[in-house]
Amino acid sequence: MSGPDDRETAGIDATTDRAVGADSGPDTVTTPTPDTDPDPDMVTDTGPDSAGRVSRPAAERQPYVESTIIMTTVRVIAPFVLTLGAFVMFHGASSAGGGFQGGVIAATTVIMLGFAFGINPVADRLRNEYLGVLLILGVGTFLAIGFGGYLAGDTFLEVSAYETVIDHGSKYSIELVEVGIGVVVAGVITGLFFLLGTGIDSVAIGTEDDTE
Amino acid sequence: MTPLEYLAAVLVIGGTFFGLVATVGLLRLPGLYARLHAASKSDTLGSVLAVAGGAVVLGVGTESLKLGFLLVFLLLTSPTAAHAIARSGQEQGVEPAGNVDAPWIDEEEGDA
Repeated sequence: MSGPDDRETAGIDATTDRAVGADSGPDTVTTPTPDTDPDPDMVTDTGPDSAGRVSRPAAERQPYVESTIIMTTVRVIAPFVLTLGAFVMFHGASSAGGGFQGGVIAATTVIMLGFAFGINPVADRLRNEYLGVLLILGVGTFLAIGFGGYLAGDTFLEVSAYETVIDHGSKYSIELVEVGIGVVVAGVITGLFFLLGTGIDSVAIGTEDDTE
Repeated sequence: MTPLEYLAAVLVIGGTFFGLVATVGLLRLPGLYARLHAASKSDTLGSVLAVAGGAVVLGVGTESLKLGFLLVFLLLTSPTAAHAIARSGQEQGVEPAGNVDAPWIDEEEGDA
């Protein structure tokens, strides 16, 4: 394994070459060697670009949408992942699973779509209003089941009271609570992902230099 | 042991071996692409073999059907994830380790 030694000597050669070139005359100043040799420990990391910034603003970032492999795979996988999320969500009452896990799996679908087709187009389609409606629906389902316990003649979230209303009422109501939790979790995860993917640029870059 | 159990044992041991290979490669190889190479290929094969061994143990049924789905999705998603990582690394201009010519690196580092 002589890789690091080779790289180190190459870096030393490049620096001495640059020093000699700087001595030779002013014409080499017009073509400065870009500082592409970082220290040998960090040689495989992606360093800052020419302007010294580690991350680029959204306008200069290349759109991450062209890979046919990723888009095709996501198209094939996404319905199954959403189905798995619903499966885990609905199985929370009887076996392993639950609203929290299923919600995260369902939100993974949106995150996958964001990675494959670009975060901004997906975020434009699933705006915050829709996510808010989703959250309200989830919390509303939970609260409706909870306060419905009073209507069925017992106290808050006392799902055994539903047995007098429908057959297997407690089972169905627990499932509905799980679905409500899952919808809320999926909405929150998706919203956080969109905020991390799109919101930081509009805040940080907007204060730094107004691009509009 | 029945022949099916021997087959399952061979599959699981093979999966463990490839998982070990992937771990060693991830720890020992230099650079993003070499590590990704080791991790994606060997890890996909290792997990798929182990899942197949589990499916052989469980026999024909709902559980092995689920494991079959898991196997197919592992075969689909794991190389795609590796492709996505390698692709974003190339877009960010990550250089491979060692003295190799990467066509997406424009600047020549030095003629030495």
